[in-house]
Amino acid sequence: MNKNPTGKTPAGMSLRAAARRRPGLRFAALVGPGTLFIVIGLLLPLLSIVVFSFWRTESYVLYADWSLDNYRTLLGQAAYRVFFLRSLITAVLVTLVCLVCGWPVAYFIARHGGRYRLLLVLLLAAPFFTGIILRIAALQGLLGPVGLINMALSLFGMPPIEALMYTPFASGLGLVYLFVPFMVTAIYLSLVNFNFELLEVAKINGARPWRAFIEITWPLNWIGTAIGMVLVFIPCLANSVTPRFLGGPNATSFGMSLSQQFGETGTWALGSAMGVFLFLASLLAILLIAPTIRLKRSGFTGTSL
Amino acid sequence: MTRKFGPATLSMSVALGLIYIFLYAPIFYVIYTSFAEDIVWPFPPSFTLSAYSDLFSSSLYGQALINSLELATGSAALSTLLAGAGAIGLLRFRSRFRGMVLLAFIAPLFVADLLIGISILAFNARVLGLPGNLLSAMAANAVQGTSFGFLIILAQLVRYNWDMDDAAMVFGARPWRCFVEITLPTIWPSLFGAYLISFILAFNNLEISFYNLGAIPTLPSVAWGSLRFGLGPELFALASLVNGFVFVIFAVMYLLMRSGVVKFGYRGQ
Repeated sequence: MNKNPTGKTPAGMSLRAAARRRPGLRFAALVGPGTLFIVIGLLLPLLSIVVFSFWRTESYVLYADWSLDNYRTLLGQAAYRVFFLRSLITAVLVTLVCLVCGWPVAYFIARHGGRYRLLLVLLLAAPFFTGIILRIAALQGLLGPVGLINMALSLFGMPPIEALMYTPFASGLGLVYLFVPFMVTAIYLSLVNFNFELLEVAKINGARPWRAFIEITWPLNWIGTAIGMVLVFIPCLANSVTPRFLGGPNATSFGMSLSQQFGETGTWALGSAMGVFLFLASLLAILLIAPTIRLKRSGFTGTSL
Repeated sequence: MTRKFGPATLSMSVALGLIYIFLYAPIFYVIYTSFAEDIVWPFPPSFTLSAYSDLFSSSLYGQALINSLELATGSAALSTLLAGAGAIGLLRFRSRFRGMVLLAFIAPLFVADLLIGISILAFNARVLGLPGNLLSAMAANAVQGTSFGFLIILAQLVRYNWDMDDAAMVFGARPWRCFVEITLPTIWPSLFGAYLISFILAFNNLEISFYNLGAIPTLPSVAWGSLRFGLGPELFALASLVNGFVFVIFAVMYLLMRSGVVKFGYRGQ
């Protein structure tokens, strides 16, 4: 039995003190690889596009000529402003729609789901994992221009629903379809840790249900709501897929234009500047919402984390 | 807790029903139509398996399936390993870096797929000089996979009682042996769950894989290319199969949780 293979601990030192010296090392050995991986796989790439955003591309090659040209193009040309505003408005609206749809659903499952709670929430989460392309294909099969609904209308001699025919509305509806599971799951995870007996107390003290909701349920579950909003907002802001397949010619989004810089046109430097812009916009959203979260008013205080 | 269903509860249950219809109507329609002879107007029903036989006889989809499976297998293994070690380290040992480490592990959830895809592409190509291939796509997908896996493992591990491990160590077990004989038998379902989830994510990912694979096709990228020319019967068949695959995995996870093998949440000691 070798309790102390390093042999560094003096004989007089207690076992406890020896154990206390090792945790730091073992903590580093366990969390180190993952942290390092995320630094190399997320932080350094993001920093590299910050650098490239000040460079220049010529015939698909990046040259280290430092300038602000890409940002000048980005802020100066009306097209990019339109793309960004379109993405921003869509992302805000989609987030709000998901919020309004997500709350009653999450609340119902958490409070009245009983033994079917787990089943109900897994069924909501499962479609997300099919991947965006196949989900959009499925949505098109039902709502698209030659989808079931419009075909049925034309069969009965009625005009198709214009809003579903390659419009920004169709693109936004696609986003709600893609990301509403995130919102429900985030709110649900907060609600399952919420003590519903507090509502009984409020009722006994004479509070009406809506008042109890506004003063107790909503603020105490704000953390789940806020995380859900961020998790929906960020991919919607960067969205490049639904406008391409559902949006038609007037729906080009910032993300779609960004993906073209790295695909068809090969202007990586401008694309990097757009990426930086997009990242800063999502970071701003997080920074705006983070101070409103107070961990002490969430259900997560009881744990050691 | 009262069990009386008032008008508020009733309208919430209606909302629940509408969300399920919204989420599942397209999926059921796709599965139904994948067996139909006419995909544009599949009524009255006339069933055929031609969409599936087209899909299986296509060498492009076959190659894409193999690539997707390889990508997902490798990416999920890397994710689970990093996430498992990270979650154990974070919960077991106190450190002043805990907050920073936690932040690092969940940060990828807050960066859009598109940004992860293009930034890793730019970093690999220009800084490291690596071409896009299956390995770089595995690593790129594992960035988000690690975050999802980490949350799943953490959710189960907060309930874990480390006293058992401490007891084993007092009796002289080395850390690795202690992990294999005491920790692993208890926590394997969450590692398994993390593997499955990061597997499906990498398997179905479009934007991260697309930019880091060079010209190598995967199922989502072939589906993307095909969808540009409109909905074909083979896309209906593919969507049905992938949905079936995801639901089988979720059924396995549900049964594991239902039977009490896995317990999530903060309840209990």
